[in-house]
Amino acid sequence: MLVNCSKIDGVGVVVVSAALTAATVDVFREELSSWQAAEPDVKNYVINLESVDFMDSAGLGTLIAVLKRISERGGDMKIANLQKKPRMVFEITRAYKVFEIYESVEDAIRGFD
Amino acid sequence: MIAVLNTSLTCKWAKQIGDTSWALLPVANRPLIDYWLETCTGMGIRSVHILLGEGAKEVEDYVRSGDRWNVVVEYVFSRSNETAVDYLKSISNYWKNGLLYFGGPFFMRRRQGFRPDGFKKLQTCCHKFGDVPYFIYGKNGEELSVLIGDCIERNRGLEEIHINPYVMGSIGDYFELNMKMVRAEFSRYVTAGFSGGDGSSLGYNVRTPPSSHLQAPILVGDDCRFGAMTTIGPNAVVANHVIIDAFSELTDCLILDDTYIGRNLEIRNKIVAGNRVIDPSDGTTIEITDSWLIAHNRQDMRTGDVVRYLILWCVALAIALVQVIPFCLLLPLIRISGTARFRKKQYHDPNTGNISLPVFIKQTDRKSVVYRVFRALSLDRFPRILLVLRGRMFLCGQPPMRHPEDDEIIKQLSHYYPGVFCYQDYNSDSDRLVDSLWYAHIRSLYEDLKILVKALVSRFLSAGRKTTMDEK
Repeated sequence: MLVNCSKIDGVGVVVVSAALTAATVDVFREELSSWQAAEPDVKNYVINLESVDFMDSAGLGTLIAVLKRISERGGDMKIANLQKKPRMVFEITRAYKVFEIYESVEDAIRGFD
Repeated sequence: MIAVLNTSLTCKWAKQIGDTSWALLPVANRPLIDYWLETCTGMGIRSVHILLGEGAKEVEDYVRSGDRWNVVVEYVFSRSNETAVDYLKSISNYWKNGLLYFGGPFFMRRRQGFRPDGFKKLQTCCHKFGDVPYFIYGKNGEELSVLIGDCIERNRGLEEIHINPYVMGSIGDYFELNMKMVRAEFSRYVTAGFSGGDGSSLGYNVRTPPSSHLQAPILVGDDCRFGAMTTIGPNAVVANHVIIDAFSELTDCLILDDTYIGRNLEIRNKIVAGNRVIDPSDGTTIEITDSWLIAHNRQDMRTGDVVRYLILWCVALAIALVQVIPFCLLLPLIRISGTARFRKKQYHDPNTGNISLPVFIKQTDRKSVVYRVFRALSLDRFPRILLVLRGRMFLCGQPPMRHPEDDEIIKQLSHYYPGVFCYQDYNSDSDRLVDSLWYAHIRSLYEDLKILVKALVSRFLSAGRKTTMDEK
């Protein structure tokens, strides 16, 4: 299981447990989509990247695609616990301008208020 | 007076940037050792000893004979059990008339008051970082003997002539030095191909489209290409042969040689070296695997390497063709007699980590003519020669290192070329670590052919009597 999804205060919290790279993005997408299908009432999401120690452009592209899909459904997506190395990828690709990044899941959930 | 430049000290932080020796790391787009050699020239020193360690080949390739600086260079390999002070003591006869010593990642920052003739006023001095001396200077052999013998620190020498001795103890220090250079100081060291007079310096053959925006202070090396709508600077040091693609922004950063920066990226407060991005504040390093983002824009393999590889592959093919019939005839006889057999053992592999290599091991102590002929014709190496043809080994190189027994040796080798034939085949006194380091340093087609001929002849003449360590 690459992703572990749960619902906290009506927000979908997605815990990713390994590096997000070209080798893992398909599994990430599939597991997230199946959970989204099972929980159609959840509109807002927090992606917890605490265990993600590396991310390549495929991982980043997938996060952007997920954000786009969630936005199309009228929801929003925030990122929590971004680690140092993926943060550097976010910085050089300017992805930090696209995502709202929080230090913890709790802060991210509060961000929806 | 002589100069001793010690490049053999280890510098852990420099390894984050890549395989380049720290002595060749650029400061304001010039290798550190270039400043040292320039100082030697400025002081009128002709004789320069360069102590080599890891990265010896690159240092030697860069400095060569020293002609460019009008000095005569002598290379010395540093011994692992010898400190710089030990070495200086061992050559005390050479510095009776004076010594200039540089060791470690040390830079002489010129203050505004510095004048090139200031070195003439420099008194005997020794600057240290911890217990390690990184700068020693003296004109008098007796004073120097006392200074080196007692390892006394006298730290005011350089400061008195308006030089700030700057030791790069971390990657952050290295980045900060480059930033200090680009902000204000580089004009004291670097002559620009083009200078705007506003704190910008561009090297030769730099192509910038009208839409790219260069904001001073910046320092750009030679042979660079900037794409449309790029913003470079302020405070950007861009080294040689760098390509920056369209819409990217670079500020407060250090981009090292041969780097490609992809489209629409933002590089701030970072060091980029090839495909590595380093945060100098804490040394965090990421290797970017997406070549359209950030990449090394020059192949590591040079023409000479390709030629050597092709020639040695053809030689391996010729040996294999000569050996195949005797191998097929003699191997069944050896198997029937039970004298020896091939066994697979685990070895280190430079590409995959581990590899199983066939080792020919004698089973009994009784004499066997077939066994001797088999080894004399080097047929025991035939399976490994087939691996050379498959590109898994080198025909000549370092002895393959066992896994995990030789892990410690592997850690000390920055370049590992496991070969079918090595020095050990004709020199029984061979020290595997020392010889491996030596081989990595002088690796060439000539050296490989020398090893091959000597190994084949020695094995033939000894008729299988000698057994290498792996085969015992």
